[in-house]
Amino acid sequence: MATQIVMDHSGDSRHFFDNSKADGLAEAERLFLEFTSKGYTAAVRTGTGEVTRITTFDPAAEETLFFPRLVGG
Amino acid sequence: MKNVSRRAGRWSLRSLAVGKLYQAAKDEKTGFARSLRLLRSWLSPQQRVQFDTKGYFDVVGCDTGKRYRIRRGMSANVHEIDEYGRLGTGRCFVPLGGSPHGDVMLAQKIALETDEARALNIANSFPGPVTWRLPRLSSERRSSVRSLSTELGQSHQ
Repeated sequence: MATQIVMDHSGDSRHFFDNSKADGLAEAERLFLEFTSKGYTAAVRTGTGEVTRITTFDPAAEETLFFPRLVGG
Repeated sequence: MKNVSRRAGRWSLRSLAVGKLYQAAKDEKTGFARSLRLLRSWLSPQQRVQFDTKGYFDVVGCDTGKRYRIRRGMSANVHEIDEYGRLGTGRCFVPLGGSPHGDVMLAQKIALETDEARALNIANSFPGPVTWRLPRLSSERRSSVRSLSTELGQSHQ
């Protein structure tokens, strides 16, 4: 099961999907496009713990994190 | 002197209490606790140890290679670190929408590690903590200062 984690005021909300099934991937890609078009940044973790920012949907990613647009504090 | 030590004691007590609060929140189901758990799971092993023991973690900017320290907090909690490990200029940037502490720190970490230039462009800067140091005097100057203070002491007697 792959996960999309979206940061929000309650901590985060999660969308689980099966990345071996086409409908799960299609829904995940739709969510990816929805959040990135709203200005969210998407990031994935590699096996070694390194974090990479992504701009296109990665169907192989086990965990994708979305955080809202950054603003100066 | 007494006031200084009393103030230092109060600060260490306060940081101890904040540390305990973070520790207690680990197992809770609040947004605050969930955000801390998410943060810990995305930190590198070294950063996780540093965060658990010291309450902050260091990240390396992907563009300049500069080191930054992210402390617990929601604003004004990011500082540059120089080669001696001293805190420098502060950077203030947060995700839009009032996220809990852990989420803010995680967003700051990812932004600096993956898109430092943009994060710094967005961030507001503020001066780092002021450190007071006694000036280093040369031996010549030190002896002249000493003789001057001796003279002044004698004239007062």
